[in-house]
Amino acid sequence: MKTRISSLLWDALTSLKLSIVCLAMLMVLVVACTLAQVSLGTLAAVNLFIRSFFIWWAVPGTGWSIAVFPGGAMVGLVLALNLVAAQAKRLELSWKKAGLWIIHAGLILLFAGEFVTSAFQVETRLAIEEGQTLDYVESPRDLELAVVDTTDPHQDDVHAIPESLLVRGGSFDVPGTPLSFTVKRFFRNADFSTRGPTDPPSPATTGVGPGVTVRELPPVTSDEEINRSGAYVEPVAGGRSYGTWLVSNALGAPQAFVHEGRKYVLAMRPRRYYLPYSLTLKEFRHDVYPGTDIPKNFSSLVRLTNPEQREERDVLIYMNQPLRYDGKAFYQASFGKGDTLSVLQVVENPGWLLPYISCVLVTSGLLVHFAFSLGRSLKRRHAALEA
Amino acid sequence: MKAAKLAKVAPFLAGGLALAGALACLLPPGMVRGFDLDGFARLPVLEGGRLKPIDSVARNALLLIRSQQSFRHGERTVGADEWLLDVMFRPQVADAQPVFVINDPDVLGLIGLRQTSDRYFPFMALAPYLDEIQRQAQAAHPVDSRQRTRFQAAIVNLFDRIYLYYRLRNTVQLAGTPGLAAEIAARSDPDATERHQALVQLAYFRPLLPASGQSPDAWRSVGEALRGAGAGPLDPGLGPWARLAAAYAAQDSESFNRAAEDVRGTITSARPGAQRHADHEIAFNRAEPFYAGMVIYILALLALFASWLSMPAVLQPVSFALLSSGAIVHTTGLISRILLQGRPPVTNLYSSAVFVGWVAVILGVVLERMYRRGFGTAVAAASGFASLLVAHHLAGEGDTMEMMRAVLDSNFWLATHVVTITIGYSGTFLAGALAIGYVLRRHIATRHDPSTTKALVSMTYGVICFALFFSFVGTVLGGIWADQSWGRFWGWDPKENGALLIVLWNAIILHARWGGYVQEKGIMAMAIFGNVITSLSWFGVNMLGVGLHSYGFMDKAFWALSAFIASQLAIIGFCLLPRQFWKPRAVAARERAPEPAPKTA
Repeated sequence: MKTRISSLLWDALTSLKLSIVCLAMLMVLVVACTLAQVSLGTLAAVNLFIRSFFIWWAVPGTGWSIAVFPGGAMVGLVLALNLVAAQAKRLELSWKKAGLWIIHAGLILLFAGEFVTSAFQVETRLAIEEGQTLDYVESPRDLELAVVDTTDPHQDDVHAIPESLLVRGGSFDVPGTPLSFTVKRFFRNADFSTRGPTDPPSPATTGVGPGVTVRELPPVTSDEEINRSGAYVEPVAGGRSYGTWLVSNALGAPQAFVHEGRKYVLAMRPRRYYLPYSLTLKEFRHDVYPGTDIPKNFSSLVRLTNPEQREERDVLIYMNQPLRYDGKAFYQASFGKGDTLSVLQVVENPGWLLPYISCVLVTSGLLVHFAFSLGRSLKRRHAALEA
Repeated sequence: MKAAKLAKVAPFLAGGLALAGALACLLPPGMVRGFDLDGFARLPVLEGGRLKPIDSVARNALLLIRSQQSFRHGERTVGADEWLLDVMFRPQVADAQPVFVINDPDVLGLIGLRQTSDRYFPFMALAPYLDEIQRQAQAAHPVDSRQRTRFQAAIVNLFDRIYLYYRLRNTVQLAGTPGLAAEIAARSDPDATERHQALVQLAYFRPLLPASGQSPDAWRSVGEALRGAGAGPLDPGLGPWARLAAAYAAQDSESFNRAAEDVRGTITSARPGAQRHADHEIAFNRAEPFYAGMVIYILALLALFASWLSMPAVLQPVSFALLSSGAIVHTTGLISRILLQGRPPVTNLYSSAVFVGWVAVILGVVLERMYRRGFGTAVAAASGFASLLVAHHLAGEGDTMEMMRAVLDSNFWLATHVVTITIGYSGTFLAGALAIGYVLRRHIATRHDPSTTKALVSMTYGVICFALFFSFVGTVLGGIWADQSWGRFWGWDPKENGALLIVLWNAIILHARWGGYVQEKGIMAMAIFGNVITSLSWFGVNMLGVGLHSYGFMDKAFWALSAFIASQLAIIGFCLLPRQFWKPRAVAARERAPEPAPKTA
């Protein structure tokens, strides 16, 4: 009985029908994901349909969600298993099938690449002005509350509190400082305006907070927009409260307090990742075709300085020509401030090479396989003509 | 004996005639009322960031404003070049010519007109309402172009066309002033600066050579040359342009012809390459190779249909010869475009349609040489005709050789990814077209000929393999390009997804066939559905952002696309009809084979 079930399962897993069903489901998911992008934005649609194991449907009126369709990750996984299993079971090892072997190996690699990407790819950015030197990249989607000890005029001491702690709320200590923080309220996205006379009083007691009214908004969906987040936080040190502050990435004004002679600046900002090297923007160029506003070229000339490696050199980053350095790739993405600010997209993806290998494999596999088939068919036609 | 001789001669005759007809369009037109319009049309100018003959500027502007490249007014046809001369130098004449096409009833209502059969209006009829049109257009302008109502889209469109017309009028000399000669004479007057500034801002094209020492594409507008001159030496091109303007305004054909010759002289002596480029492009404009190709393809198709009724021994080779001539014209046009633009063949939607047709035709010619049953010809001619027709309708948005935006400015990726993926589209369409041929044949043909059916099936299978190969490679190359240019191999962007769908569908067809889950009819029905998927990923994804309220070209394309998809579904229905509906019935009963039940009918 047990063996029958397992052999049934094995048959199902290796069947060509399963491959076809998976391919068809993938088509449905891709269509759904494409259509959903209009209302959800690319990232949300991809997370909903492609990077999920199930598509959930919230039954109206109840708190329940039921899985109505397998998600892209599930289909991809089953298809990959099916591919491997079928390969092992059905496809004989022969020169005639060499093409198919190569194609399917390449496809498995392609799936692996997409899994690696969705699991490990980190996208950050570097917004740098001409003449500026930066040794960090920022993640525009994640925020942090930076508590910067600026007492030493030569060196800032940065303590970053990740967004997840703010979302969770409650109190926590900031390691390396005598400070602890209590989060009173967190807003994923909100509108910040000058407080009017009829607005309710602000929970903030100090800094710019008391003059600002915060209205909570739903998080943004479009890929071009970013959330304007905010939080009411209360720093406590040595048993003494320093008041309730409003911190937000939408507020520019620096806010600081002094505890035992040390000055701490509070700033909510895109999460920073520090690099062991620095980049200086020497020149940004934005050329247009004469007599039009069609962009012809964007390029950033940067100086790369890495004291550890004793490296100091100029790099030109332009369209289709990223800088790949230390596991990261820097791409020309955007610009601003009257062409003096250059925005580089920074991507770290350990699996970036997989699609390249896969592409070569599948292409050559298809060529081999179709060449074999064509040769056979021509031979048959020849034989038929001679008969 | 005579028939055999005819069969030998007729194809060459037909093909040769078709080529001669296409070549005849290259002949320069004669003088119009004594004016050497050809000499004027060939002058190179810089517009839209690239060098082109003034003829291209005139044609594209008229195409944008009137959706046609010439029009009838009074007793005769006015060409684009003559129209442009009137706009620039005889505004009183141009303003009375009905060049503005207005279809939207609300816009017509705004300017106090009713919808009649005549949809073309002269600038004169619009002039009293300019303020209102501008007010409405400015109100609609901040609205995202995809969110605009039909009226808003139409009024913005009308305003843009009026503004284009206005810029053309003020490119060489300001309308309502005594003319360029007077402008040159008064160039150091204190109040001239303002007029120079206006000329700089409004100039639609740049007719004057770059100053010495400047970059070769820094051509200058009249305003820039005047502003820079002060009381000093004049740009050598200004004098001849002033004479040309005055001569045309005075309708003095002799002086006009001399002045045009002089303008050209200043350019050919300094930049012979620019003139050669302009001459090449004007030949391309006149020959309209894709239009000529379209006509020849339809002739080939007609000859083939005729061959199924009578004289197949003569007419079938004739139709193949016509197809080949069409392919030659099409290829010449394609190469011409590549040379003119200095780019691989596919740079935008328009050129992708031209290229899809070209690949289908070439594949069809190959299939015809392999199988010689007329089907290659039929499918090639039909796809060539259809895709050139699509291209013809896509050309309404002005210059089809516009400059490439920075991220697309990569000949390497345009040549690899874009070309491969377009070949993939083409292959999928060709497989679909073959399958349609199969369905029609099974329903119409009176004789049953199993070997032809078999040939069609094996052609379709081969073409699907071809399509899978190119669409897969093209899709992955696209991913690699994306990885190179913004660090994401695969971004699940609608266009990428469309390409992926084609790959998946072709893979499903092949696996279903290998697994034996579908037979002949099923494969054919699936191949036809490939047409639906390809058309959606080719055009459909471009419409995604277009809501129900939008209006304009893509809206019309939306209905065309829907009609196309409906037709394909109907054909799939025919394909899957049970055997008793098929012709010829007597044979069908004999070779009944187990087939999956039809899913739709």
